Amino acid sequence: MVNYVLSGITLGCIIALGAIGLTLAYGVLRFANFSHGDTLAAGAYIGLFISRVSGNLFLGAVGAIIGAALIGLGLEKVVWRPLRGKGASPIAMLITAIGVAILLRHVVMAIAGPTLQFYDVRARMFFLGDIMISSVQIIIIATAVAVMLVFAYILQRTKLGKAMRATSDEPALAKVSGIDVNRVITWVWLIGTGLAGLGGFLYGLQTALRPDMGFHLLFGMFAASILGGIGNPYGAMLGGIIIGLAQDLSLMVIPSQYKIAVGFVIMIIVLVVRPRGILGKAV
Amino acid sequence: MEGIFPYIGTVLIMVGIYALFALGLNVQWGFAGLINIGHVAFMAIGAYTMAILNLQGVPLALSILIGLALAGGVGALLTLPAIRLKADYLAILTVGFSEIVRYVALNEGWLTGGAQGLFGFDIPLGGVVPAEQYNLFLLGFVWVTVLIAFILLQRLAKSPWGRVLKSIREDEDVARVLGKNVSRYKMQAFLLGSVLASLAGMMLAFYHQYLGPGYYYPMETFYAWIIVILGGSANNLGTLLGALLLWGFLSGTRFLSPLVPLSAYTFSALRMILVGLLLIVLMLYRPQGVLGKKKELTF
Repeated sequence: MVNYVLSGITLGCIIALGAIGLTLAYGVLRFANFSHGDTLAAGAYIGLFISRVSGNLFLGAVGAIIGAALIGLGLEKVVWRPLRGKGASPIAMLITAIGVAILLRHVVMAIAGPTLQFYDVRARMFFLGDIMISSVQIIIIATAVAVMLVFAYILQRTKLGKAMRATSDEPALAKVSGIDVNRVITWVWLIGTGLAGLGGFLYGLQTALRPDMGFHLLFGMFAASILGGIGNPYGAMLGGIIIGLAQDLSLMVIPSQYKIAVGFVIMIIVLVVRPRGILGKAV
Repeated sequence: MEGIFPYIGTVLIMVGIYALFALGLNVQWGFAGLINIGHVAFMAIGAYTMAILNLQGVPLALSILIGLALAGGVGALLTLPAIRLKADYLAILTVGFSEIVRYVALNEGWLTGGAQGLFGFDIPLGGVVPAEQYNLFLLGFVWVTVLIAFILLQRLAKSPWGRVLKSIREDEDVARVLGKNVSRYKMQAFLLGSVLASLAGMMLAFYHQYLGPGYYYPMETFYAWIIVILGGSANNLGTLLGALLLWGFLSGTRFLSPLVPLSAYTFSALRMILVGLLLIVLMLYRPQGVLGKKKELTF
């Protein structure tokens, strides 16, 4: 039981890191970004490349963050901003995101090949009575919690964070109050995709890298965003932990193949019972 | 069927099957403005229902009918939770649903054959048409079905029912104020699209004389979207054209593969990069596709 809780929190931290960018993009740009999972995966692979070249895992993590953030920034310049300039609706952006997802995933496949890949990491196991915890789990949870605290500080205390929250709450109002919305959007992409890259890296530390790993995690991230209240980054963190816990705790009652479906079922229940989620505003 | 024909013939069978599949999406998206990213689920539900029942001894025709009915019914039910919500939620809901259908197909081996899939089910006129002519027969069968569906959809699009759908797409509230039961129309559009998808799924199963969970990845749904948008949303003829162009590209480039010093895996990944790029470029520069009208776009 405790072991399930531990692995659930580990998975939850990863989902939470990914869900922050998803929910921010939704809050500020009002569209469901189906390419977010594949950006996460691309970041993880960039991290793999850097860690192999440098022989240093920490540099790999930094590479995953910067790589994914650069992808996010590049897409904003080449795809999202021109689309907004043409007055594209959120649905048009959602469909474009599917094209971006297909593109990113197959770039990864073309370069990295089909086989599973692993970071060069050896987990050490610690036992406290019946409880087993691995050094990788400790690293994942500690990193994710630290990064989320820093992010919360930025969101709460800095001018940029306040501008982000304002734009997410009411974009039109933010604009007339003199907030440079395009600048906020650029930062939303940088932070959101950077955190996703870190999430992808941490996911790869725990399991393995596969070109379709991002699409797998995407459901958990959507479920976390909706559960927490879409557009609300704190909700995404909370939702991520809950979804991760629910997926791993479900292993006690259902076969592991359906683990990934648990997030989806929670999402349906939330959509039917309380579409605004835990922390969200009415939709 | 000799020489080049078998290849062109099989490409045209696939064009027909995906045209049918995408026509279903065009009803939902092009006409009603409903965003379904889980279209492939109905392909799977229809084909599996047909095959499972038939393997249990139910006559093929009856198995097909039950498969169509089940896919349509599930499609209609799926709109219930999402119909009141925003379009994005329907998108997320449907794609998640299609993945769950695939997991069930993969993991419930007692029902679906699991990863090995199902084979040995009857195919239409399987005992009558000689095996070496069967693809030719299937080519005709698929395209007659496509033509019937096409004519039916063209008529529906111009009918009062089709006009109400378009009005819902343009502005739901106006349709509601005019006394139309918007939810019921959406549900009907979803039902019709799901039935067409399940028909396409059965055709695919007849063509392969096999079906397995590997056929039902979300990528199939994305193909349908690319076909509809490439041809032009809300344009049935455009959907046929889109299916021809996409499969023409996917099959035509297959010829190039031996000429390029790359592994088949890398080559197919490069091909899919172009497909992704095509969708992005279309959305940026020509969202109405080849034959569509800009004012008929939902986005």
